[in-house]
Amino acid sequence: MDLISVNTFWTIWLLVHLVLSVGLIGALTHQAVACVMPVRQLAAPPGFVTRFRAVPAAGYATAICILWVLTFIAGSYIYTKYRIYIRIPIEQAQYWKTQGFFDFKEHVASIGLVLLPAYWYFWKNAQNPEYDTPRKVVTVYLAVACWFLFIVGHVLNNVRGFGS
Amino acid sequence: MSTQATATTTAKTSSLATSAKFRTFAITFAIAGTVIYLLCLQFNWPLFTYHPAVNRVELWWGPSRSGEGPAMYWYGWTATSLIAGFVVSLLATLLPESTAKKIPLILVWLLPILAIPYLIWDLRQWWFHP
Repeated sequence: MDLISVNTFWTIWLLVHLVLSVGLIGALTHQAVACVMPVRQLAAPPGFVTRFRAVPAAGYATAICILWVLTFIAGSYIYTKYRIYIRIPIEQAQYWKTQGFFDFKEHVASIGLVLLPAYWYFWKNAQNPEYDTPRKVVTVYLAVACWFLFIVGHVLNNVRGFGS
Repeated sequence: MSTQATATTTAKTSSLATSAKFRTFAITFAIAGTVIYLLCLQFNWPLFTYHPAVNRVELWWGPSRSGEGPAMYWYGWTATSLIAGFVVSLLATLLPESTAKKIPLILVWLLPILAIPYLIWDLRQWWFHP
């Protein structure tokens, strides 16, 4: 801790959380789109959207699980400082809805965490039609959840985060 | 990569992915973990309470104390649901396969979806704060 200031230390962790979440949101979005709108055959040269969804979606599953867990751990670590240095000023400023959305975020992140083993299993058995519906719904659920978590985190950072 | 490949390719299946016991564990963990988390929230059952200002951990639920800053329960709720969900899922793997196969797959995704309106309701103090 002598090499860097306390602020720099926590800023680095906030950025680690950000970088992991960017990787997660990208992978989950690719996978969800590929899952909901798979590319079957090409009648014309592929455009951006076609290329976006033409990914080997099953190959993302393990990486997504690892990224969710790592992002969760990094977020949990910086949460201790959030509770004192961010949440209290937010409450003092009476940003109640902002506070509510953060609580919503923490609950959604935990529910996403318990879905991961089933999500992974469904993708590793993607050839089994029995798992088609749960695999698609859980993947879209996690993708939407990830976007929600990301946007709420981003807005909170704007309210009182980096540099405040 | 070739765009002529189908978007959903089958990954190499590991032994875990082909295990019937892991299937039961994973499906039960998703269902039980979600339900237990919501119960923890409703009845306030954290495994522990963390007091970040004084870096103190207290077993089960503990109130914020004067001069010690706020108390955090989310870690405790998450720990309760992960550990209890793990135990329930392990017990589920002891069920005969024919019984375990009857666990409805629909609950894996329906419960997390139904959790959303519950969470919105549970957080109503923030939405309607005067």
